Amino acid sequence: MPRRPVRRAALLVAPFAGLTAFFVGWEIYVVVRNLRPLTLPLPSDVIIHVVENPGFYSRNGLVTIQEAFWGFWIAFFAALFVATWMAHSQFVERATMPVIVLMQSTPVAVLVPIFLLWFGFSPWPKILTAMLFAWVPFVANALIGLRSIDSETHELMRSVNASRWEIYWRLRIPHSLPYLFAAGRICVGLALVGAVVGEFFNSREGLGNAARVAQSRLLVDQLWGSVFVLAFIGVAFVLLLIAVERRVLRWHSSQDTDHRSL
Amino acid sequence: MTNHWSLETGGSPTQAERLGERIGIGGVVSRADTAADAAISFEAVSKWFRRKDLLVHALSRVSLDVRQSEFVSLIGPSGCGKSTMLRLAGGLLEPDRGSVAVNSQSPAEARRQKRYGFVPQHPALLPWRTVRRNVSLLSDVNRRQDNPGMSTDDQLAMLDDIGLTPFLDSLPRELSGGLQQRVSIARAFALGAPVLLMDEPFSALDEITRADMRYLLLHLWGQIGSTVLFVTHSIPEAVVLSDRVAVLGSRPGRITQVIDVSLPRPRHAEVEDSDDYHRVLGEVRAALRQGWSS
Repeated sequence: MPRRPVRRAALLVAPFAGLTAFFVGWEIYVVVRNLRPLTLPLPSDVIIHVVENPGFYSRNGLVTIQEAFWGFWIAFFAALFVATWMAHSQFVERATMPVIVLMQSTPVAVLVPIFLLWFGFSPWPKILTAMLFAWVPFVANALIGLRSIDSETHELMRSVNASRWEIYWRLRIPHSLPYLFAAGRICVGLALVGAVVGEFFNSREGLGNAARVAQSRLLVDQLWGSVFVLAFIGVAFVLLLIAVERRVLRWHSSQDTDHRSL
Repeated sequence: MTNHWSLETGGSPTQAERLGERIGIGGVVSRADTAADAAISFEAVSKWFRRKDLLVHALSRVSLDVRQSEFVSLIGPSGCGKSTMLRLAGGLLEPDRGSVAVNSQSPAEARRQKRYGFVPQHPALLPWRTVRRNVSLLSDVNRRQDNPGMSTDDQLAMLDDIGLTPFLDSLPRELSGGLQQRVSIARAFALGAPVLLMDEPFSALDEITRADMRYLLLHLWGQIGSTVLFVTHSIPEAVVLSDRVAVLGSRPGRITQVIDVSLPRPRHAEVEDSDDYHRVLGEVRAALRQGWSS
């Protein structure tokens, strides 16, 4: 099959080709329309600005990453805990569902001032905001995953008197992994958004704060630089998650490459 | 290749015999001695299911004794309660009336002691476990009980015996349907349970694979000699495999006839050419027809 290596190489190159096309298109558009940097800067200018200020962006980027990181993982474990209860008890599910809908319908951003009242200028308001952004997709997917076990496999486990814990650990958790990874991809971005929203309100550091300061002082390069670095962080973490997913879920049909060409 | 797993005559006890002693069935050699004892006993069992506002009478006063090391098939039309009987025997359902006993214990107690090997309709393999780890799954679960199942060596020998050695480290999705069901059956035997409950295990397979699986099952069963309750829709399957065939009628589910299959054992594919086979086949078919018309 001589075409297979070519196809593999093409698949590897595809994301870079897409990104390059996007930025080249942007660059051409700005030049052709002769736009002012305040309206839309050249992406090459923004990249040069970021490269020239590595200390500033790495320091602030690290702060945002830490807040998003803790928000992401607290959301994950809290969602798993709640979804586990919901999967095992219809009463808990019915009692919890309205609260989840309430949280989903409430704009999280309006809660940030309340978190500031509670926790002051510590990282916690940002972490909690990141957590609230990521929590609902995690809990919804975890619940579906924990519930999606095959009835025959469940019966098989019951036939040897497997405990609830064994069914949970050996059956429900592995079954929920594809759903959790799918949620994880979404929640990486949401946790970053949450951390940045938290930083907008009151913070002395972080990329959200850098963007807010840049906006108030019309520092276009810094504003767009913060956006670029945030996007880069988001993409890097999603790629990391995909790499872990490929390794962990090698048994799952989603990891088949052949069916994508169907 | 010497097969250490298969039953040998004379000499030191084989792994299969040792396993038989450990799980309390004495292996094939003691099958005739214990034939009078009921391994599974249904005593006037009735069962209803509630479907929304409808009360469905699934089983009506069903009585059946399955002797130790006996292979009994349940056959009948869809919805006649075959799978319900299997689940009652396995303690996965409770009877509404009557009683079920497994080796003089309640099914729930037998389940606690891991005395069942269950083979569902679909292979129900855990997709993240390799063949080797799927086969050991039931032994890994509920380890507090004193039935640890076969040793790893015995399991490997059994898997070699049924041609699964090349696939030990394969994932279920890399196997054909027939191979997956082979693993599912091996998993039930690997537990070394004295009672095997099989719910139409070959129904999803093509006819050629299905015929092949019958003799594979007989081969494995011939080594361990567990008591088997087997649900099927296939008359040839029931006749080839069983010592007795219980024919069920529907609405409500009840046993209309129990037919002895007096074909000699061990059975091979040639048995299907014999006059006796065709005679029993006809008897079962007639019983089914009679049950349906009544």
